[in-house]
Amino acid sequence: MQRFASPRCLRPSPPLPPAGARACNEASAVSMALLAPPPSSCHHRSAPLPVPTAASTRHLRGSLLFAAAGGRTGPTSAPMIQPRPAAVERRRCECFDLHQQIVPYAEAYTWQKSIVKRRKELVDSGQDHSDTLIALQHPPVYTLGTDSKEEYLHFNEEDAPFEVHHINRGGEVTYHGPGQLVMYPILNLRYHKEDLHWYFRSLEEVIIRALKSAFSIDASRIEGLTGVWVGDQKVAAIGIHGSRMIVYHGLALNITTDLTPFEMIDPCGIKDRGVGSIKEILKKASDGRGIDDRLLMDIAYNAMINEFAELFQLSLDINSDCSFQ
Amino acid sequence: MALRIWASSAAKALKLSSTGNGARAAAAPAFSISRFFSTVQDGLKYTPSHEWVKLDGDGLATVGITDHAQDHLGEVVFVELPEPGATVSAGGSFGNVESVKATSDVNSPVSGEVVEVNSKLSETPGLINTSPYEDGWMIKVKPSSPGEADGLLDAAKYTKHCEEEDAH
Repeated sequence: MQRFASPRCLRPSPPLPPAGARACNEASAVSMALLAPPPSSCHHRSAPLPVPTAASTRHLRGSLLFAAAGGRTGPTSAPMIQPRPAAVERRRCECFDLHQQIVPYAEAYTWQKSIVKRRKELVDSGQDHSDTLIALQHPPVYTLGTDSKEEYLHFNEEDAPFEVHHINRGGEVTYHGPGQLVMYPILNLRYHKEDLHWYFRSLEEVIIRALKSAFSIDASRIEGLTGVWVGDQKVAAIGIHGSRMIVYHGLALNITTDLTPFEMIDPCGIKDRGVGSIKEILKKASDGRGIDDRLLMDIAYNAMINEFAELFQLSLDINSDCSFQ
Repeated sequence: MALRIWASSAAKALKLSSTGNGARAAAAPAFSISRFFSTVQDGLKYTPSHEWVKLDGDGLATVGITDHAQDHLGEVVFVELPEPGATVSAGGSFGNVESVKATSDVNSPVSGEVVEVNSKLSETPGLINTSPYEDGWMIKVKPSSPGEADGLLDAAKYTKHCEEEDAH
């Protein structure tokens, strides 16, 4: 079985790295040496969560009356089964790497929606050959999902300290800001598992594995509370929207985030537990020596995309040359 | 009442007659019977488009889709619901349910204001499959026309409606 080679930047005709080798950039090579133990190659980890056969069907839309009648009274379509991809080939995923850039929220949201629109068109023409992943940071913003309740804001929206965005992901209020790694996977669940619950658990698993491999941090889930926790501190939040089997929005992982803006909300509607960051956790564990914020973000980003690619069995095509003015 | 509907649906589905032989054969394994019938709950009102509504003590109407509907839809993957505060009208769509097979609009059996939506569905939409009448509830409405639900189907009429639909 072909091993996933770690992501490479897009340069003209680079040689393919030999199986099992890591093409690290300089920063992560240094960081690996600083942090013990050296992260084991994710190739040796236990198998990723199961992935069923990819299939595509023409999409039906109607009322429950139509669905309940089995579509016999209207036009019917037999599902088109796409040939199962060869075992060595992974589905492609285009990755937009802005993990060291601050991107305004509204622009990123518009960008996501335009990608989703395009993906749905590709689905319709049977050409949805690649998933998408965006990694970036945001300036300070609060976002409210579709389940948000006013009581979880400790301020009036009119006098909010930062921008407030009402968006279509599920879930409650959260904060995004510099030092927080935000990732927006835009996946077609038909090529993974058509199960939203599974998708949430998978994103949590990616984060847990990345924190373990990069920082030796033991993170965990809490049953009934989405997100990733270290002890009783939440370090990562997840919120998703899906339609036509395309999921978007995604996850936010506190690396070096200033956590004070979280005090002005009940993050994700949770009142009795706190929020943490990787930097704070490492500070407690280290002998107090300085940690370079930028380096920490690089390490986290690389671990996250590696674990993401491994769990979702994707072949990442990284584009680091994009930027927002 | 629900049990009798169950038995008659099962008997019809298995094409059993009321003779002695049929009665013995009616004790077929539960799994084969369950493929042919859906649960219809007493005490709820139903629409021909497979939504149910429950009127509770403090005047709120809880709405969801029926077992018959979720069974035909297949595994639910996404649910679109309105925001609290939105207005719904009887027979009008308030959201949709997307399954592996199809997306279906869901219509409100009653008119009024949405006061609560089931936030669990944004992460665990499968509750509609596993518990369509309980944990898979979709919205709670403050009805604007009391008595509107009286015109809807009761459990027996709804069951008959489903049988007629499936018999095509």
